[in-house]
Amino acid sequence: MSSFSRSAQQWATFARSWFLIDARVQPPGKIATMCAVRLQGKHKPIYHALSDCGDHVVVINTKHIAFSGNKWEQKVYSSHTGYPGGFKQVTATQLHQKDPKAIVKLAVYGMLPRNLHRRTMMQRLHIFPDDELPEDIRANLTEELPQPREIPRKLSEYTQEEIDAFPRLWTPPEDYKMK
Amino acid sequence: MVFLTLSCLIRSRGPDRYWKVQEVLKHARHFRGRKNRCYRLAVKAVRRAFVYATTARRLKKRYMRTLWITRIAAASREHGMKYPALMHNLTKTSVQLNRRVISDLAITEPRTFLSLAKLAQARQQEGFRAALGDGKEPSGVFSRIVLLQ
Repeated sequence: MSSFSRSAQQWATFARSWFLIDARVQPPGKIATMCAVRLQGKHKPIYHALSDCGDHVVVINTKHIAFSGNKWEQKVYSSHTGYPGGFKQVTATQLHQKDPKAIVKLAVYGMLPRNLHRRTMMQRLHIFPDDELPEDIRANLTEELPQPREIPRKLSEYTQEEIDAFPRLWTPPEDYKMK
Repeated sequence: MVFLTLSCLIRSRGPDRYWKVQEVLKHARHFRGRKNRCYRLAVKAVRRAFVYATTARRLKKRYMRTLWITRIAAASREHGMKYPALMHNLTKTSVQLNRRVISDLAITEPRTFLSLAKLAQARQQEGFRAALGDGKEPSGVFSRIVLLQ
């Protein structure tokens, strides 16, 4: 790095990288904050709003996104068609069934600054519902970011020894009926 | 009649109107439209421009500080620390570098910035040990504040 010439060092500093984020079993809000930070370029010490230092972000597996709590039923996405009586309210489940990319896209759109750069930054965000990526995007990827949420293990993924070693809080009586 | 000859009737009302006008127009030369040529429009535009410049001089200090803070936060996250933790621990170790200098170091002197981040991390760990360790351990190396007289 220090052996580069000045022009090569500048080219390397201001180059645009491509980040990959796997959104399987992740909260879409946390995915969206990571995307928004990198689309604006705020992860770089050379950040300036005018210097166009944002990077590309590719999000995969958005079909398997996981809201916490009851947000699948309670979170409402509203829009208006512009015509009278055209106020539409859709729950997160319905929106996800209609378009699996929309939740992450709307989340990132809301987290970007409300200026004219926002549309350009959204064009640099690439969302895919599945694992499949086109060849040219796959060729451009430089770094994969770690997932924000640690995926908890299912009961079937624990070995019998670990289940037995777990401390028991109470022993049920003989005639207790478990559900 | 007071003035009886022609040479007394003609008097000069102000010999330097040209220069008074140019004083204003020179600040308007880069404006758009007729504001850069016509005096009546230029006067209003130039006054407004000066007002904007005065307020912006006060705001520039704020913008620059937020920019420095953003840059320091980005660089410290690269090294696994957050901005508030970094700055608090640097002040606790009596490193009196201001945000401008630290942001310039983060850009042009990455290894110096890494050493500052490691210093702050060490001081943070000492602080945690002092808070959780019930005072039986001696205070760490960086927690001793050296009073230079």
